[in-house]
Amino acid sequence: MSSNRIEELKKRRQREIRVNKKKNQKFYAFIMSIISIIIFIFLLQNNKIYSIFWVIGLLIGITLQRSRFCFAASFRDPIMVGSTSILKAIIIAFIIATIGFGIIQYDSIDSSGVIDIDRLPGQISPVGIHTAIGAILFGIGMVIAGGCASGTLMRIGEGFLLQIVVLIGFIIGTVLGAYNFEFWDKLIIKKSPTIYIPKYIGLPTAVILQIIFLTVLYFIADWYDKKNNLMSS
Amino acid sequence: MTEIKLDCMYEACPIPLLKAIKKLEKMDIGDVLILETDHSCSIKNVVEWAKKQGHNVDYMEVGEGEWEIYIEKRK
Repeated sequence: MSSNRIEELKKRRQREIRVNKKKNQKFYAFIMSIISIIIFIFLLQNNKIYSIFWVIGLLIGITLQRSRFCFAASFRDPIMVGSTSILKAIIIAFIIATIGFGIIQYDSIDSSGVIDIDRLPGQISPVGIHTAIGAILFGIGMVIAGGCASGTLMRIGEGFLLQIVVLIGFIIGTVLGAYNFEFWDKLIIKKSPTIYIPKYIGLPTAVILQIIFLTVLYFIADWYDKKNNLMSS
Repeated sequence: MTEIKLDCMYEACPIPLLKAIKKLEKMDIGDVLILETDHSCSIKNVVEWAKKQGHNVDYMEVGEGEWEIYIEKRK
């Protein structure tokens, strides 16, 4: 969708850039690769599981950086500019995660078929008013900070300076949260019920229902995107 | 047919996009907006928005992690 005028502008800027040469980052990439391989070998000798986590972490980081996957933007953009392309990506990720977690959790249910929440892998925590309060607080913070936790860390790695301020707040917040967790646990969290829907309707049904629900959401998001497109043009 | 520069250095999402929307409203058709940014998400965000609005748009890396986004107002 580039026009002649933009092409001309680009060519002119390209000539200007060539005068003050660009630095080459390949050297830094080489050093970082060596450092990560050394860390991998070190972990492999001392703690096998950590070495797997290290590789997964690196791969997630690369994917996050290359794809510009941003949880903050996915929920902010539909309201702000009527674009749901990232939200749709998140919904697809949820569908894949639902299937993956379904398989892992199905595997851990013993032959009697009774679901014991404490033994299931995954973060199954009590829900209550604290969930809503936390979600609102995190949502406000995420939009003001310009990124969620993973996005912030990824952009610091890229060298985006502003987000270091966010990181400081991030560390203060998590430390305070961990320090005060016991208080909140006693006050609200312990009293709230743990709801795990597969316990009531069976795991396969729950997985299928969730996928249907997410697919419907996907089509709503797609429709919303197209509707906004037509209105603005 | 003017070129207007918009400085969005060190601004995080979604400020560059909001600034661009505001600036484009005041511009005439045919004007080109040059948006300078160092926020890598903006090149996705702003370019996608401009395409959806039907403007001509392209971007270029002008330095280490610094981009210029060119938007030609079409309507």
